[in-house]
Amino acid sequence: MSTTRIASLLSVGALALASLVSPARAEETVKVGVLHSLSGTMAISETSLRDVLLFTFDEINAKGGVLGKKITPVVVDGASNWPLFAEKAKQLLEQDKVAVTFGCWTSVSRKSVLPVYEKNNGLLFYPVQYEGEEESKNVAYTAEAVNQQATPAVDYLLAQGVKKFYLLGSDYVYPQTTNLVLLEYLLSKGVALENIGGGFRKDASGKIISAGKYTPFGHTDYQQIVAEIKQFSAGGGAAVVSTLNGDTNVPFFKEYAASGLTAESCPVVSFSISEDEFRGLPADKLVGQLGCWTYFQTIKSPANKKFVADFQAWLGKSTVPGIVKDGRVTCSPMVLSYDGVYLWKACVEKAGSFEVDKVRDAWKSGVSFDGPGGKVTTQPNMHLTKNVFIGETKADGQFKILKSFDNVYGEPWLKGKFK
Amino acid sequence: MASSEKYAPPAPPSDTVAALLAFTVLAVLIMPMLDVFGAIDHFTLNLWGKYLCYALLALSVNVLWGGTGLLSLGQGLFFALGGYMHGMYLMRMIGDQGQYHKPIPDFLVFLGWTDLPGFWKPFENFSFAILMAFLLPGIIAGIFGWLAFRSRIKGVYFSILTQALTYAGALIFFRNNTLMGGNNGFTDFKAELGFSLREPATQRGLFIATAVMLIGVVIFLRWLEGTKFGLVQRAIRDGENRTLFSGYATPAFKLFLFVLAALIAAIGGALYVPQVGIINPSDMTPEKSLEAIVWVAVGGRGTLLGPILGAVFVNMLKSYATRAIPDLWLILLGGLFLLVVLFLPGGLVSLPEKLRGLWQRFRPTPTPAPAA
Amino acid sequence: MRKTFSIITAFFCLFAKLGAEEARVSIARAALAKGESAQGVILNELMGRADESILPLLDAWRKDRLYLYEPTGAPAVPVLLEGAKDGKGAQVAVSVATGKAIGLRLVADDLNSVAHSANLRRIMKAVLDLTDLSSANRAKKLGALAAIGQGQQVEKLPALERRLPLETDPAVIKALREALALVRLKSPDVEIRLAALRELESLQSLASTDFIKSLQKDPATLKDVRLADAARTALLAVERHRTVVDFGGTLFRSLSLGSILIIVALGLAITFGLMGVINMAHGEMIAIGAYTTYVVQNVFANGLALSPFGVSINLPGLHTTGWWRESYFLFALPLSFLVAAGAGILLERGVIRFLYRRPLESLLATWGVSLLLQQLLRLTFGANNVQVGSPVYLSGNWIVGDVLLGWNRVFVIGFATLIVVGVWLVLTRTSVGLLIRSVTQNRSMAACMGVRTERVNMLTFALGSGLAGLAGAFLSQIGNVGPSLGQSYVVDSFMVVVVGGVGDLVGTVISGLGIGSFDQFTQQYSPMVAGALANVPFVGGALQNLAQDSAVFGKILVLCVIILFLQWRPSGLFAARTRSLD
Repeated sequence: MSTTRIASLLSVGALALASLVSPARAEETVKVGVLHSLSGTMAISETSLRDVLLFTFDEINAKGGVLGKKITPVVVDGASNWPLFAEKAKQLLEQDKVAVTFGCWTSVSRKSVLPVYEKNNGLLFYPVQYEGEEESKNVAYTAEAVNQQATPAVDYLLAQGVKKFYLLGSDYVYPQTTNLVLLEYLLSKGVALENIGGGFRKDASGKIISAGKYTPFGHTDYQQIVAEIKQFSAGGGAAVVSTLNGDTNVPFFKEYAASGLTAESCPVVSFSISEDEFRGLPADKLVGQLGCWTYFQTIKSPANKKFVADFQAWLGKSTVPGIVKDGRVTCSPMVLSYDGVYLWKACVEKAGSFEVDKVRDAWKSGVSFDGPGGKVTTQPNMHLTKNVFIGETKADGQFKILKSFDNVYGEPWLKGKFK
Repeated sequence: MASSEKYAPPAPPSDTVAALLAFTVLAVLIMPMLDVFGAIDHFTLNLWGKYLCYALLALSVNVLWGGTGLLSLGQGLFFALGGYMHGMYLMRMIGDQGQYHKPIPDFLVFLGWTDLPGFWKPFENFSFAILMAFLLPGIIAGIFGWLAFRSRIKGVYFSILTQALTYAGALIFFRNNTLMGGNNGFTDFKAELGFSLREPATQRGLFIATAVMLIGVVIFLRWLEGTKFGLVQRAIRDGENRTLFSGYATPAFKLFLFVLAALIAAIGGALYVPQVGIINPSDMTPEKSLEAIVWVAVGGRGTLLGPILGAVFVNMLKSYATRAIPDLWLILLGGLFLLVVLFLPGGLVSLPEKLRGLWQRFRPTPTPAPAA
Repeated sequence: MRKTFSIITAFFCLFAKLGAEEARVSIARAALAKGESAQGVILNELMGRADESILPLLDAWRKDRLYLYEPTGAPAVPVLLEGAKDGKGAQVAVSVATGKAIGLRLVADDLNSVAHSANLRRIMKAVLDLTDLSSANRAKKLGALAAIGQGQQVEKLPALERRLPLETDPAVIKALREALALVRLKSPDVEIRLAALRELESLQSLASTDFIKSLQKDPATLKDVRLADAARTALLAVERHRTVVDFGGTLFRSLSLGSILIIVALGLAITFGLMGVINMAHGEMIAIGAYTTYVVQNVFANGLALSPFGVSINLPGLHTTGWWRESYFLFALPLSFLVAAGAGILLERGVIRFLYRRPLESLLATWGVSLLLQQLLRLTFGANNVQVGSPVYLSGNWIVGDVLLGWNRVFVIGFATLIVVGVWLVLTRTSVGLLIRSVTQNRSMAACMGVRTERVNMLTFALGSGLAGLAGAFLSQIGNVGPSLGQSYVVDSFMVVVVGGVGDLVGTVISGLGIGSFDQFTQQYSPMVAGALANVPFVGGALQNLAQDSAVFGKILVLCVIILFLQWRPSGLFAARTRSLD
């Protein structure tokens, strides 16, 4: 008796408070985790995903929920703090016992929660373009793999007559791996080593193993790098392949525009700038720069028009503190989050159960959903087959679609494929 | 800086020993027992393990700040270094169980490496890794401290400089080319000394180890306080120049404390990694070190109990608030912090005394008993 | 390259054969053609044609105003929409091929615009380039010349040669000579090639590197010793010029980064000097300045709707246009100063004044404030970065001897100078300045002399915060405007202050410039040094990957140097001398 009292005193916050917030009517609802950063550096990108997820849950609940159960979201803040991500994941799985989690943006956040999901046999839906080279049975990768983004974009540039490529990225796993794959890919396409800019990394024997220029997160001074690109592109026929992380794109592009470089003299294809990031960028200075995603807001399909309109209407009514209602756009990670929820719903309904193993089996058997970006189909390797679009930025911050590739199979393992 | 009036923290409560004893029983016996019988879930125990690691970091901050008045904004560096060194061993223990199923760590594979770099090799040995977890932070603290105290850098300058040190460390470790995992750091650990880290029993063992280490450190610090060394240390805090003029080589004393603090932080870090399952350079950023100072300030600096209390309390609040009020918790934390600094300079440990004071001030003055 | 050349020649033959097809007919045909390459072929035929309809039509195409009218069961018709919109948004449709109305009113949003890719635009541009050659616009002319040079299209040589005697502007003449020389590198005549190489050598043309290198690989060059020699010397001259340009550029970039550091650190230096307190919320004062700029920008445009904590605030817009719109930044500058200064006063009155005797704890309290402010900004303006545009007078550049001077950077340097001089004048030539200096030097003595130190504290803090606000307005022109904007600069500004020494303006200036230069020079030259040391055992191996992350290497080295520097000068460059101990 007394021991339990001391124990409850000890774990006063974690225990008592957790039980305080858990809903009373557990029977008719199913708990779903939302694990994104709502504060810290990554809040810039991830808050929008939280918004779209809440919207999707409301949309599904209005139509009767999943297997007759209403979705109750459990929103937690990862605070751009990776150990905290692991803790929050544990909390969601072990205390809240959520049926599924939608979350993570950066690769490091995914890597930090991955062991937690594997240990507890949970299921995480991951919606943001990533480096591949991973295939966990506990993660549903709705994200773009490298072959659904980087290689199609480079193909497009090559077809446009680009002969020189400057690789620039933030120093983390996604750009490093993407550039490693791109180096192999470009060389296999006959691009000479001297026409790949940014610098090389050599191993101990002096063999070149990767290419690209890397800047740390939150880097603000791109003067020197832009001057280098200016010289690199002086002879024409050059392009920049940018895997810069969302935040650092602003100083980079402001510097780029000020130096007189344009999409016509040296186009930049960016893999981390979507419509949402454009809200903080001087769009009028970036007209004609390229992006490659599996969704653009400008897709002219009834499904997309409805999605955009419904989301904006939902925002207007939303009471979430601090939610931005004005000038909101939709982008690929948001749509992949949206698709993810519906795919999960489809898998659950196919399996007739919320159990992770059964849901996973349903995923592996191939489930489709007609989302705003077109049809997406689940694959046995936990990735998605989807359409890929190459777009060009317009002065209003939207993309004009230049080219589309239909039903591209998501292939996570690309390294060494193009040798 | 003209301010000459030093803030004197309240003396440690007399019942520290009793509290320590109670804590020992709780942490080493009762909580693990409860875990075994399922009265608290594994998650809670694991979370508490993390809090206790943070408590070690808080103690490390307190050794300098409470003990000598040196505010280091860089203790996170030593914490993370301890974690990294132990993490290197854990990374080697993954073997070929990683995503690539290669005998070298995953991040080396994605950087294009095929062989293990030389400096990684000795870390397959547990004892070597643990030795390095102490040696590296100790050596870095030694060199930096020697440079800083030799030229008598103090006050805010010392704070800023330690901040620069940890920031430089973070930048170095953020580089993927440093070959220490870059931004991702180390994660996906499988086993420690052959025990699977996914087993609740292993986690329980780690929790007990952390609690024992924490208690050991507290006892050591308590003992140190009572020695002549502790006396000099307090003299330095209250008037460094006077101590210097009395013939004490204050730089040497401060250097010793700085290294000691680094070692305590490193113990915390080394125990933190297997329990949390990730170490990455964000633990080296200046914000992280500042957070540790918040814990100490909230708990009550200059005491042994305060930092532990602060670390546990603030982190519990954070665990709770990031789940319950994800949009507003930073405001709560910032506000709390501000309030403590402004109105409760002695921290939480001074709260009972403060309340007693308030009570005495406002209670109706008892009518004097009629003279017999 | 050769292949392209022959294809283009083939187009020309085709064009000659087709003769007099009207340009608008060709454009209509191109708009309907399947596939980009087929479209490119047709557009290439327009090269060198002097048809007035080309410019407006291609311009409309490039700007998505060329539409496809696709009636069911009939072939599509490329149309332009002209005239005023009626109630349904419909306009008169004019056929591209005939230039006449097709008798329908169509809505732009219902139609697909004719697609174009960068490649097609390049061809369109080439077509228009020849028109642009005689353009009055200097920038257009220079752009056209660069494009023609890079295209190396021999058929454009006569047009270029004709221009040479007509030009008077030295920059245009230089660009023209460069373009001529580049195109002549493609000439089959060895003598002309040699002359072109000599010309490029004397022009020190940076753009020519790739072309000379590809010439060097040409089998014809490999056989001809004279060509190989000329190519080598030309390349050498260009590389020599490049080192000069790099050095000049680095110097300018150092100055610009240094100026930014001075601007962000100046306010901190003043408050630090006065109170011995490091204001951890300094970064948020910068962010407040930047957000003020954002608000002013939107008020000058269409207004702004904010909803912090569910309260909706609608700021009306002034809907200004033209120069008024562009001048928003000039209004934003004083406002960002005032708003941040106001926030500073609140912070000082509300928090810091209670902590003057506890400098280290005021550092902590201001950190709490910083967390609070960050989240407040996030809840007010959203977690995303907001967009602050650059006015035209800050978005161009000058090129002086191939060194690029961005106007925003020049402006920052000029403004930093202005601020430093202004602050110096305030501190040394006004009575407030006198009071501030007296309190900085000896607070208790000043108080004894009757200085109201409380008020001076407040004023100083307001000044320091206001300067941070100004810094924020500037940073909005070169970087992010987001809730954590201040965080990216806060460590840097601390470094500037501790290296410069407390409360000394000159110290801050020297330290800012020094740190800025050190960073830029390491970034520029560390890969080169690493390359030179590549074969040195041990060190070489560790350094050889430096070219990849020279940016972060610069930052790390700066921090290490600062730590070592303080060994030599423990209280910064210009320490206030004092006899007091403890």
